[in-house]
Amino acid sequence: MSSSAPIDWTPMIVGFTAGFLSRLISLKSGRTHYPGYPSGYISQLALAVISAMIGSSILTSLLSKEFTAATFLTLAATQFRDVRNTERKTLEQEEHLILVSRGAGYIEGIAITYEARNYLSMLVALLGSALTLIGGLVVGIIGSVIVLAIAEIFMSGKHVGDLIDVQPAKISFDKGTLLYAGDVMMMEVGLPHSRERYEKEGLAVVLTPKNERGQAVLWNVSQRQAITYEAASAVGAQKDIGYPEQSPLCRMEMPAGTGKAGLSILPVDHNMSKLIQAIKNTPVLESDKWSKMTSPVINRKEM
Amino acid sequence: MADAPTPVMFAIVTTKREAVSGGMAPIFIAEDDQERERIAMWLSRITNAIVHDLHNGTLILTVNQS
Repeated sequence: MSSSAPIDWTPMIVGFTAGFLSRLISLKSGRTHYPGYPSGYISQLALAVISAMIGSSILTSLLSKEFTAATFLTLAATQFRDVRNTERKTLEQEEHLILVSRGAGYIEGIAITYEARNYLSMLVALLGSALTLIGGLVVGIIGSVIVLAIAEIFMSGKHVGDLIDVQPAKISFDKGTLLYAGDVMMMEVGLPHSRERYEKEGLAVVLTPKNERGQAVLWNVSQRQAITYEAASAVGAQKDIGYPEQSPLCRMEMPAGTGKAGLSILPVDHNMSKLIQAIKNTPVLESDKWSKMTSPVINRKEM
Repeated sequence: MADAPTPVMFAIVTTKREAVSGGMAPIFIAEDDQERERIAMWLSRITNAIVHDLHNGTLILTVNQS
């Protein structure tokens, strides 16, 4: 009853579309194999609608002096804090049920990203509606597209392939039982049957860091678990309960400590290019963002 | 994930009885290498233990305690 002037719906519609699209794009480009099922998508889309709605309607409600509405909208925004917890809980539950686990670092990374994406779509919606309010429909649409593009570039983190070189390697056994991926020792395989399987069907790659950042990334154990998970979900892993020595592994070259890592896997789909692509597309984890490695590894090359 | 697994000796399979003694794990004595490998494989499949070769006629089976 307080709003006498007719409400201008254009900023809301433009903002809503921009915010919703921002979430939609990231859902599609997400390479984390989650959400994997229609129900997962539905809940994410529902959240996207709500967040785009909040972002796009807040300016309109403020301008029409509906302060109660604006307050409620900010209240609704706090609900998104739970998204991270929900995602983390779901993935942690799943961890006990899958044979190649994601690792805690990867799960945390996915959960943070999901939370952030919702806030991002809210922000994009807000900016879109603001631009439409200031400059009209055309400026609003063009501005929204630019904001969307900037947000996408800004939010898409680095991939392992940007920092690390992935090369195919040969699987071999040293001293009869030690499994090697290229020059990197992986593990002891005591059973002759499993050794045969590795020699016949196994795939191996060697990961060489391109720079100092790459080295820091590789030394992180949860990052390597994430790489293993992505590799296994791309080419499959012949593994079951009772076959521990057939787990895919990613290990550093030790004890030499050259900073290189090896990965060995018994794939279902014997496809090297698919494996390398999957490893290169693995996201670099948040928990990896510690400083560049300088010392022992770099120096060791000169030794 | 970052926690290193703690392997616990689960069983010992050997063809050389005199090379092993005592300890907490049961010792399985095999007649020859073939039987040794068969026993190790069965124990591994049944108990999810990992087989390691000590290269002195002895195989050890370890399980990772969580």
